[in-house]
Amino acid sequence: MQRNFARNYDSLTAIYEFAEGILAQHQIAEAVRFPVHLAMEELFTNMVKYNPDCDSEIAVGVDVKGGRVTVELTEFDVDEFDVTRRREVDTGASLEDRTPGGLGLYLLQNIVDKLEYEYRDRRSRVIFTKESG
Amino acid sequence: MFEIGYGSDGEVLCSGRLDAAQCAKAQSFMDDIADNSTLDFSRLEYISSAGLGILLKTQKRLAESGAALRIINVNNHIHDVFRYSGFDAIFDIHAKTE
Repeated sequence: MQRNFARNYDSLTAIYEFAEGILAQHQIAEAVRFPVHLAMEELFTNMVKYNPDCDSEIAVGVDVKGGRVTVELTEFDVDEFDVTRRREVDTGASLEDRTPGGLGLYLLQNIVDKLEYEYRDRRSRVIFTKESG
Repeated sequence: MFEIGYGSDGEVLCSGRLDAAQCAKAQSFMDDIADNSTLDFSRLEYISSAGLGILLKTQKRLAESGAALRIINVNNHIHDVFRYSGFDAIFDIHAKTE
């Protein structure tokens, strides 16, 4: 199932409710739903943040098959931004050396089972999967 | 929905979902904290990197005056996020007892 959402942070509640309805319908455990919601938010907010001049909606699709949750986010008329590129964060740094920011994609890459990115004709498409088994 | 406010013992009660849309509300409250404080997460269901950023910013500001945040009653999922982020080394975190 897919739905379009306005490109702003106020869409987050609607995205959560959209995904939660599908995940609950398939009786996906909370231990899987939490990282799915987290990954969706990190991707969506990243798209909002790094393409501030774009006003096109973002398409969000959620599918559950055989216990595997697949989520797809697509945005149009944007610059390339490969979210699969490895982000390193020094999680062992001291408080003095830590700076806010940069954790979103790092978390994303560590909580999903598979992460793919496609860029063609100024269209960005991100797909991630999370296994519930 | 995210709510933040003081409990009867002076602890900071957080509830709901602390996502990027709720950061302004959380940041506004946290900016007024000036001393050692306990955040009670017993009713906080969710936090994203945006919420982590607010916690880190507050902890760094408090550290300048020798104060710190203590976070209690953290659910398993949020605890995992803290662990992945390395926040378990820079915050005094106590898991929720189920």
